[in-house]
Amino acid sequence: MDNELSALSTIFTEFYYWMTVVLMFLIHVGFCMYEVGASRYKHHQHTLMKNTLLIPLVTITWFFFGWWIYWAFPTGPGIAPSIMTESTGLILGGGFGANDLANPTNALMAINLGDHISGVFWAAFLLFSWTAASIVSGAVIERITTFAFGICAIAIGSVFWTIDAAWGWHFDGWMVKLLGYHDAYASGVIHAICGGFALGILAVLGPRIGKFSSSGEPRNIGPRNPWLVCVGLFLIYTGFWGFYAACNIPIFDLGPEYGMEGTTFFTATNIYITPTTLSGITMNFLMSLAGGLLAGYWVSKGDPFWTYSGGLAGIITSSAGNDLYHPLQAMIIASIGVWCAYKLHYWVERKFKIDDAVGAVAVHGYAGVVGLVICGFVLWGYPSSGYDGYAAINPIGMIIGAIIMFGVLGFLPGWILAKILHGAGKLRIPRDVELAGLDYNIMEAASKDEKSVASSSR
Amino acid sequence: MATLTNWVEHLTAEEVAGQIYPYVGTEWLWLTIAIVFWLWWHISTGAGEAEEHAKLARKRHGSNDYKKNIPEW
Repeated sequence: MDNELSALSTIFTEFYYWMTVVLMFLIHVGFCMYEVGASRYKHHQHTLMKNTLLIPLVTITWFFFGWWIYWAFPTGPGIAPSIMTESTGLILGGGFGANDLANPTNALMAINLGDHISGVFWAAFLLFSWTAASIVSGAVIERITTFAFGICAIAIGSVFWTIDAAWGWHFDGWMVKLLGYHDAYASGVIHAICGGFALGILAVLGPRIGKFSSSGEPRNIGPRNPWLVCVGLFLIYTGFWGFYAACNIPIFDLGPEYGMEGTTFFTATNIYITPTTLSGITMNFLMSLAGGLLAGYWVSKGDPFWTYSGGLAGIITSSAGNDLYHPLQAMIIASIGVWCAYKLHYWVERKFKIDDAVGAVAVHGYAGVVGLVICGFVLWGYPSSGYDGYAAINPIGMIIGAIIMFGVLGFLPGWILAKILHGAGKLRIPRDVELAGLDYNIMEAASKDEKSVASSSR
Repeated sequence: MATLTNWVEHLTAEEVAGQIYPYVGTEWLWLTIAIVFWLWWHISTGAGEAEEHAKLARKRHGSNDYKKNIPEW
């Protein structure tokens, strides 16, 4: 920063990411409200604590190793050479590797007068990590132990999603190079993987007591506080604006980056360093929200829970290509995704007896997968990167990408981890605790005072 | 020990050091303490939770018993 313009550009970028972090905090506020609103009275406080505790757990592990994984793993390792090191090994050094940028003991992982960006970039990715863990949190309410959830939150928030981000959400990621994988606003790298991970846990965890009749018919356990759910989802929408902004680099000169001699082209870019505009993605965000809300209302016959969830699922479906879609394409793709997610939710529930308490697998997982597949067809032939030698976006690559996100890095690790925790007797709360309510002891301890207050006349 | 004691001297030095936090060079120590605390936290709270569940499960409350602890809705 040796002149006013470069200083302005740096400080603007720093402030831009800082603002996205503040906005994305609302996603977590929304998830907390949403989950508590969906849970039953006797489980409220533990439900809130479970989701709240993922904040510190994912934060510290993101500092310890999550951020390091993102910078170390773009090559696989062993799958495709890095454009920076020309090696297929872990990217560790050279001024841009994990040990330089993300080792928790090095100079950039603290206040540093020579670096204004690393910290806010770390924080923006951390908020994605919270979102990842929080998506899983809602699906498993009222019967998972806080201990088991903490382990699962760290696994998805600081390990598996960051591996998928290194592979498919990094300008040097092997999935981008070899498959032409394109996922600008994380249909797959956040939503599909977390939906898959949640499904893997649910398959082992089992349903809440009473969810299925003795003949196997599912029963509806609706949200206990629809207003809390409603406000929670509005806050998630709001935080999603910050999420979209955080997926962009706000100002970048692509001329020298792409080796175009004498060309200067300042623009916002997505995570792959290909150009887009904040203006355009804002239109697409709103149009996909609109398409999702309309489809959610229609397919659920006006059910508020699914209408709101439809808005979210709509954005998630279109997100993979929302850096390039026309707004009307974004709206229509969103509607298709919501229809698929809704139908799949009830089909899987009935067929496999999966009790997804908040529809997280559907809204994030199925909608994310559908979004990736559609993106492969609609953006077929577009370059996945501005650098030489990268595969173009194509349906096969995107379908393989969807399988990797939902299945390989989502469902499989979730299922294995849940099996291990179940084997150790740590996954599910005891049956009698589930019946009594997780908050029983807290409520009992307060009941004497509560009764005195209730019977007081002065 | 303070990493810097005079801002003017620090910022006019031939090479300005970016790190300004105290005890530069001891990062491994802080990291080790943090990891030990993190692992201890899991073990401690996990054991506490299991104990609380076992205690509550022994009482065998019914699924509506919690309502008697709520005098006002």
